[in-house]
Amino acid sequence: MLPAGPRRSRALRDEARLAYAILAPSLLVVLFLVAYPFVSAIYLSLQDKMVGSPGRFVGLENYGELFRDEVFLRTAWNSVVYTVVAVGIKFVVGLTMALVLDQERRWNNLFRTLLFVPWAVPVVIVSLNWRWIYDDLSGFLNNFLITFHITRDIVSWLSNPHLAMGCVIAVVVWAGTPFYAMSFLAGLQAIPKELYEAAEVDGASVLQQFSFITVPRLKTIFVTTVMLSTIWTATNLQFVLILTKGGPASRTEIFPHLAYQIALGARRLGMGAAISLVFFPVLAILIVLLTRRLLRQGEE
Amino acid sequence: MRSVTRTRRVLKWTGNVLLVVFLVWTLVPFYWMLVTSLKKDKEIYGFEATLVPRQPNLDAYRRLFAQTPFVKYLVNSTIIAVSTTAASLVLGCLGAYALARLRFPGRRLIARGLIFSYLVPPALLFIPLFTVMSTLNLIDTRHGLTLVYLSFTLPFCTWLLLGYFRSVPLELEEAALVDGCSRMSALVRIILPISLPALAVVAFFSFTQAWNEFLYANVFVNSVDVRTITTGLTLFVVEDVFFWGPMMGAACLATIPPVLIYLIFQRWVVKGLTLGAVKG
Repeated sequence: MLPAGPRRSRALRDEARLAYAILAPSLLVVLFLVAYPFVSAIYLSLQDKMVGSPGRFVGLENYGELFRDEVFLRTAWNSVVYTVVAVGIKFVVGLTMALVLDQERRWNNLFRTLLFVPWAVPVVIVSLNWRWIYDDLSGFLNNFLITFHITRDIVSWLSNPHLAMGCVIAVVVWAGTPFYAMSFLAGLQAIPKELYEAAEVDGASVLQQFSFITVPRLKTIFVTTVMLSTIWTATNLQFVLILTKGGPASRTEIFPHLAYQIALGARRLGMGAAISLVFFPVLAILIVLLTRRLLRQGEE
Repeated sequence: MRSVTRTRRVLKWTGNVLLVVFLVWTLVPFYWMLVTSLKKDKEIYGFEATLVPRQPNLDAYRRLFAQTPFVKYLVNSTIIAVSTTAASLVLGCLGAYALARLRFPGRRLIARGLIFSYLVPPALLFIPLFTVMSTLNLIDTRHGLTLVYLSFTLPFCTWLLLGYFRSVPLELEEAALVDGCSRMSALVRIILPISLPALAVVAFFSFTQAWNEFLYANVFVNSVDVRTITTGLTLFVVEDVFFWGPMMGAACLATIPPVLIYLIFQRWVVKGLTLGAVKG
């Protein structure tokens, strides 16, 4: 199609020039607002910079301090528990929800729409609303339990050290399950029904059908969903910020929230950057693997 | 054969019971939010609190509009979300077209870089970004906030559109190019009309992400004049006292735009979602 020789190379050069020109705005945004801050986070974490004052280079001092700090060590443990438990429950509940919605039933479209609504609601609003549900004196939960004589006394959901983490995770699950259910349902609906019919004729039980047809067909979606959600769950500080501020006694403190408090509350930008970077290696592995997966999916 | 029909029936009823549980679990918080906004303060607080309002009224909403900067927050959120959406659509289409159709050095690297930057969490970036934004004088500005929102909407939108543009048959475009159509008008006249579903997902995604965003809005904005609704809501807490009535009223109203858009676009969104469209 294209002319040969010098005219062809000119056409190619024009094409490249056009490409760079129309990609430039996106690239500038990504360079200045993602790539540069990312690199400078590393540099910042090696300084003792405070808000409004120039920092001094302190090497790995910030990291050293972190690993001697009890609050940080507790935070690290909490973050792992928080992420693993929340992702695990969201996965199981989301898969159940998808399987239920995949059954034949009247009004199923309406039910699907209703169950997926939490996903469109801003997380801040979800968290504020749940904080109000958990309220000691006037919240829905205590009122409900007392009105129906399920408990006699008020339960301090968010300030009880044994309950707080569970209560926060419940909210994370409420807000995050629809994402799983939607992804899984899309996957379920792509499985040809004939496969199940054939399996039934061969005498396969429901459980066998699930483990030999459903699970293998959904494997790709399982992995992608869990990886994406792990990154987002682990790094979302809004639930904790609004529900408990990390309390009581750091029981619900997770690393993005601690970084936020240290950087903006205590105004120690360098230390804040160090906290968010300590966990980056784990996330980085996920990000690299996911980038590869998504690129492959995009090219199919 | 009888046992098969029995298993079916058991499954069907387990499914129905679970469905009811899921519906209650999902809808009760919305009920509580709405009902709180319709109560008088006396009914909201203390042991007199009720599960069903005795005299539903719009008092909280009246206070919200008369005594708080709620309307200002709504206007700011709308301006920022609409600009983010418009810019993501235009720049996303241009970038995706370049990556899908034009040959140039660095193409693969850029595609990879875009996905990578979409996945880098804001929780890692907000601290250094604070310094960048201060240096560029973008703190407390609506365009500054729009710009940071583009840093996560653009990579995703570009990538989503890239996948879609690639699936548009090359022949359609080549015919137009041979007829003397320029690259840009081929994009506008041939590719975009076929890609409407993808554009819908992109619009949905950018609008809701910008509308719902909290962290950056909280860190990069202090002034009431620029504040968005998500961060404005948290200001209904004064010295640990929550004004739950107006706050839940505001929460109800602020939930409407993203939910409405979700209802309109849900047909296409589910497809886009499997590509990792929305954070959850």
